[in-house]
Amino acid sequence: MPTAIKSKGFIALALLPALLLFVVFVIIPIFWSAYYGMFEWKGIGAAKFIGFGNYVEIVQDEIFWRALKNNMILVVSAIIGQIPVALILALLLIKNSFFSRFIRSAVFMPMVLSTVVVGLIWGYIYHPQFGLVNTILEAVGLGSWTRAWLSDINVNMFAITIPINWSNIGPYMIIFIAALQNISPEIDDAANIDGAQRGKKLFYVTLPMIWSTVVVTLVLCISGSLKAFDHVMVMTHGGPAQSTELLATYMYNNTFRVYRYGYGSAVSTIIMIISALLIGINYILTRRKAE
Amino acid sequence: MKTNVDSPSKKLVGKGLSVLGKLILLGYAVFTLYPLYWLFISAFKTNEDFFQRPYALPHEWMKENIIRAWDLGNMGRAMYNSTLVTLSSVILTLILGLLAGYVLSRFNFRFKKVVVTLFLAGLLIPIHSTLVPLFLMMKEIGLLDTYGALILPYTAFELPIAIFLAMGYMASIPREIEEAAMIDGNGWWGIFGRIIFPLCTPIIATISILAFLRFWNDFSFALVFINSQALKTLPLSLALFSDGFGTDYSLTMGAMAIAVIPTILVYLILQDQIMKGMVAGSIKG
Repeated sequence: MPTAIKSKGFIALALLPALLLFVVFVIIPIFWSAYYGMFEWKGIGAAKFIGFGNYVEIVQDEIFWRALKNNMILVVSAIIGQIPVALILALLLIKNSFFSRFIRSAVFMPMVLSTVVVGLIWGYIYHPQFGLVNTILEAVGLGSWTRAWLSDINVNMFAITIPINWSNIGPYMIIFIAALQNISPEIDDAANIDGAQRGKKLFYVTLPMIWSTVVVTLVLCISGSLKAFDHVMVMTHGGPAQSTELLATYMYNNTFRVYRYGYGSAVSTIIMIISALLIGINYILTRRKAE
Repeated sequence: MKTNVDSPSKKLVGKGLSVLGKLILLGYAVFTLYPLYWLFISAFKTNEDFFQRPYALPHEWMKENIIRAWDLGNMGRAMYNSTLVTLSSVILTLILGLLAGYVLSRFNFRFKKVVVTLFLAGLLIPIHSTLVPLFLMMKEIGLLDTYGALILPYTAFELPIAIFLAMGYMASIPREIEEAAMIDGNGWWGIFGRIIFPLCTPIIATISILAFLRFWNDFSFALVFINSQALKTLPLSLALFSDGFGTDYSLTMGAMAIAVIPTILVYLILQDQIMKGMVAGSIKG
């Protein structure tokens, strides 16, 4: 770049506002959270320094482990319920016909709805009296299967995974379609000349070609599932009896319902650490597989 | 060559889709659209009608629900708040994100690597784990329960994506253009404002749409950072609506119908750009 005109001032003035805003509202809170996690504090009055007391308590906290388990249910359900379905839809809908475009638009539609709306609609679909699920079960003679889907602690976590998967399949499908369209026709032709069969071609040609995209979707699934909050807040608030508690709702409830700010901050920090760990593990595993 | 464009899919699914395949896909489309359809028909029912025949078309189409929901739920105010907060955040994200993206794509300076890594990390930070500390911080500086309590964090969290989209796009703009502009006597601000910014229209559209959907639909930040009735955004007032009028189902459905119309319209008009944006926004690793 020619240095005919002064650049330093421009660099500083153009970059600093973004950097400042980002550091103040995204980076600093992480450290602030780790720091506040070492206090017992009710939000008012003096905060009492208790070192790693909150963290020790979290590790022994039954509800925390349940929340973590529930988050893991979401991770697993996202990985098996979103990625394969999205991939199959992408393979079927890659063509640019009117039919494909129509179905694609329909599948993507829930994504543009607010999570609150998704949560409320599905709350009604699961309603014990007039809910769609129970109505259908009764109509097909499975009346004995009907239940209060969101308050029955044996099934409510699984019931919650469905609206979450329902609204997230669309974007993954679009990402896969984009990746599939990038495979050059020559490679495909070569595979056909070699007589590769459909199933074999999918596993030996197509999947390896889009593997980096699969890795991206895995990372998005994991980080998305750890972030899950809105749907549960709207459908169950984490109840009944904290049976649908997630890490994020547990953090919220501790902080803003029972006013344990220090404990809530410590849970925040743990969420950050677990995310980093899972994304790191996923990165190492999938990279090795690709080699 | 032209006939080969579709070939990866063609070979996988044979000659077009079979009738069975099409039926399965249509079934799936119904599964994704039905809840929305149900929302809209229920919005026009009386509560009685809703309970007695929850899945039939309305006995008689009532627009009263929509009007009552608009008044009782203070939806006009919520719509105004959502619009104000979303627009301000989108504009701020665009200006700051494009400027930073430009600097990071064109200049070399001492801490460039650190800055890029920092923004990259921002893509992976779970938003919710910063809720508590952000709440405490904003309480301390008196920002809580103002429009700024939403606009500033929204922008901050959207900046990484905006910056990486902008950097990627600007890398494809030839540098000769700037050299020519320089000879014409432009400074960096002039070059950015008069030449780079107008050239960035496609990526500006992508960034704005992604940001719009995220800000308009956000629930968690609004839930934690906003308290006063007058500042509530649409998702927030909807969630409270369902608590307050818990058993008035058609009223709640009416309120939801009002709230989803703007995003559905935006989606129907801009769907190609939204899908492109989705892809661009996710290729980040």
